[in-house]
Amino acid sequence: MFSLSGYEYFLGFLIICSLVPVLALGGSRLVQSRGLGPERRTTYESGMEPIGGAWIQFNIRYYMFALVFVIFDVETVFLYPWAVAFNQLGLLAFIEALVFIAILVVGLVYAWRKGALEWS
Amino acid sequence: MNLGEGVQLVSFGLLTALMLGSALGVVLAQSVVYSAFLLGLTFTGMAGLYLLLNADFVAAAQILVYVGAVNVLILFGVMLVNKQMAFEKVPGLALRQATTGLVCAGLFGLLTTVALTTPWMLSTTTPAGDGAIVAIAQHLFSDFLLPFEVASVLLLMALIGAIVLARRDLLMDNSATGLSDDLELKLPERPKASLSSGGEP
Repeated sequence: MFSLSGYEYFLGFLIICSLVPVLALGGSRLVQSRGLGPERRTTYESGMEPIGGAWIQFNIRYYMFALVFVIFDVETVFLYPWAVAFNQLGLLAFIEALVFIAILVVGLVYAWRKGALEWS
Repeated sequence: MNLGEGVQLVSFGLLTALMLGSALGVVLAQSVVYSAFLLGLTFTGMAGLYLLLNADFVAAAQILVYVGAVNVLILFGVMLVNKQMAFEKVPGLALRQATTGLVCAGLFGLLTTVALTTPWMLSTTTPAGDGAIVAIAQHLFSDFLLPFEVASVLLLMALIGAIVLARRDLLMDNSATGLSDDLELKLPERPKASLSSGGEP
């Protein structure tokens, strides 16, 4: 038995969303030019010439940002029920959530001071 | 208004087909990038199954944690792997593959037995539906308050640990400076050349 309400709209949006890439790719396939010049085979038509292979080792700095992002992503999971039930919970829960966020802001300050958020 | 029985059945079939197909793709895809993206698709399908089970908070957590965080980490791990690196040939590959196959087949058999012998009884209590997440929040901020706050301390520890470990990686990257940089509260600068060659796609 399905008891969540409002999900028929979700289903409708899901169907529309899944149609968008199909329509975009199929539409451009319908109207594309059939000429097969050498320009057509380039990665960025009328753009920059790509140099070297696409398989390069990315900078390890990206990984630092990913790690910090993951922590705050998991924090979002804990704050999500608080945000949904905000009206029913009252002031005490607000303070408790502030304590929760404050503890994690310490981590953000640490990451900032250590220079983990600086690019170069 | 709720979703009809037929819509649920069709959704379940589509999601199951999606999950099985993408899970097979994770294993069989030649490129590891395709595998990582198909893993994200498998996780998303699992979130859809949670939605069909009236568990919208679990579905949201699945999307946030598995698709948003775990899969991003896997993709970053893939991005950091250099393809030009020559992988050494593993000795005794056939034996290893046979052992892995045997273990996986045994696990599959065990899970199939459990699935077939478990009496799948439908719960008689009505599902909480939209009120479930409010109930979770009320528990989280009353009798589960201490675990909730301790979770933030755990996240803080994970963040600091990740930064310390990643900084050590960076230090090993230019080992010329060695331990003297460790005392300063700064990440060591990398040479500009490696930044421009490796950083920009």
